[in-house]
Amino acid sequence: MSEGENLKWRKLDNSAKIFPLSAGRKYSTVFRISAVLKEKINQKILEKAVNIALEKYDSFKVKMKYGFFWYYLEENNKEPIIEEEKDYPCKYIEPSKNNDYLFKVTYFDTKINIDIFHVLTDGGSGVVFFREIIYTYLELLHPTVFNANERLTRKIDYNTEDSYLKNYMKNSKGNSSSKKAYILKGKKMRLGAISAIHEIIDMNDLKKECEKYDATVTQYLTAVLIYSIYEANYKKAKSKKPIKVCIPVNLKKYFPSKTMSNFFSYITLEANMKGLIEKSKNNKKEIKENLNSIDNNCKLINYNFNLFDSIVEFVKNDFKEKLTEEEIIKTMSANVRLGTNIFIKVIPLELKKALVRLSYLEIRKYTTITFSNIGRIGIIGKYKDYIEEFLMLIAPEPVEKIKCSGCTFENKMSFTFTSILNDNNIEKTFYEFLKCRGIKVKIESNGVLDDIS
Amino acid sequence: MIYPKKINASKGEIITRIMLAISIIVAIVLTIINKITNPNIPWAALANSGIIYIWIITIYSIHRNINIAGHVVLQTIAVSILTVFIDYKIGFRGWSLSLAIPIILIIANLAMLILTIVSHKKYLRYAIYQLFILIFSILPAILIGERIVKEPIMGIIATGISILNLIITIILSAKDLKEAIKRKFHT
Repeated sequence: MSEGENLKWRKLDNSAKIFPLSAGRKYSTVFRISAVLKEKINQKILEKAVNIALEKYDSFKVKMKYGFFWYYLEENNKEPIIEEEKDYPCKYIEPSKNNDYLFKVTYFDTKINIDIFHVLTDGGSGVVFFREIIYTYLELLHPTVFNANERLTRKIDYNTEDSYLKNYMKNSKGNSSSKKAYILKGKKMRLGAISAIHEIIDMNDLKKECEKYDATVTQYLTAVLIYSIYEANYKKAKSKKPIKVCIPVNLKKYFPSKTMSNFFSYITLEANMKGLIEKSKNNKKEIKENLNSIDNNCKLINYNFNLFDSIVEFVKNDFKEKLTEEEIIKTMSANVRLGTNIFIKVIPLELKKALVRLSYLEIRKYTTITFSNIGRIGIIGKYKDYIEEFLMLIAPEPVEKIKCSGCTFENKMSFTFTSILNDNNIEKTFYEFLKCRGIKVKIESNGVLDDIS
Repeated sequence: MIYPKKINASKGEIITRIMLAISIIVAIVLTIINKITNPNIPWAALANSGIIYIWIITIYSIHRNINIAGHVVLQTIAVSILTVFIDYKIGFRGWSLSLAIPIILIIANLAMLILTIVSHKKYLRYAIYQLFILIFSILPAILIGERIVKEPIMGIIATGISILNLIITIILSAKDLKEAIKRKFHT
């Protein structure tokens, strides 16, 4: 951050620039990470923990300010507000009601949540900050068990640089598809309701199943997701458009970076269902093998084994093709070029806002659903014993009515559906599918939609 | 349970439909009573605009995550002052005190009753706002007692409904209230 009139400030990173232009009550661009602990949350201690963590990660101690051309972040000297969870998850964070902070820590019973406006950071760095809150909370709560100094001998080393600008290639050509995606059909819930359904999956069972297909966990679950969308939503709509799944990618795995700002890109899988159905018809030899692997209590009546196999093959190939350094640089560079374009730069902020909002509904029509898997949340030593599970949620939008996210802690992977649709058909099909494959799944939800069992 | 209790979407849909049906029935009944009893003064139109007004405010408040109960109290006071002002400006025939304010209070009480019912057993949360409305509802009774209001029927109904509403809230929140007293005054 630069010093100026005593208050530090910094520019938004390249990804963050777009979020405040489009964000509002309908497009909150907020994600949530939750930790379910094994004992009731103490508000006073949580408040202390958040303040201590904020001192260490001051990149979160900011408010957003208007500039003439872009928004920027400025040091925030107010206290963060910590309160009991009342609202739906991932709701728009109104800065004026949150002491100007762009994140919000809430708690409910044994659960601590952090809702983060994407302008601040991405899921990966959000986990780093949240983990610090959890560690500090447990240290304050159980001072005899934990020695904070022991953990803190490890130096916290980060910066807030715009790693996009450092790593993009000026002359790299973009690779965006021009095909519009299938948009999920169905009635929306009223009055801003958001459903959250967590499918807590046994990791050992899931890994065994992935091994059968020689697929990674993300690939396998993406395939199940596409299959569930097809069975529960797409089939009835008789659409010809592809099911497009957006998968965010953590760029820190590809480029050296210590930034706490956003540094992610994405790949978009484009499943042409007509082609996959055709392909699955020639796949008959695997039917017997599939039948043997099905759980006897399977509730899916029209279970199409061959189609799923074709989808897994497609997902694996598309991942192989798109998840390469070269392809990722292409996508990232195209987005950076947009933010660094001189003609875009000089448009006044208010006009930029109006233009982005006008075009946003159209832009969103290129994705059916997003599935963001932040992977394993590593917790050190004895701290693990005090944590039941972690959850990750991302805000659904009027066009992308369902968003999916996942994270893993110990032997549990939580796969979450956040939805504004008034039915849970996709969530239910996804659950039934995993159960049919003999994978243990536990459901937790906020009760907005009917129970799945 | 890892989330605070939220109303189920399909139950919410049913409640909304029931409330809408009640609103329409009340509006029709008020219009019929108006036509039979006092067709020269179209007070039912005023009451029906009040019902529409409450619907707009409720939807707006839920969307904006505003404290609806606080909003109802504030709007009740603000609109009441406004009607008295309008009445005063056009020659003070007394309709604001005998009709408008009682109707506003009846609608406010209806809104509070709905909030109490759908508040997931956290009745105590709205008891304080209910009390505010009751205090305000005593006003028509005082005006009737002082013989300032010539047509007391609506005022009596409004005060009666308000007292009844508070009694319902107290009954519903008795357990919570006991718990709160126990916590605050424990030795």
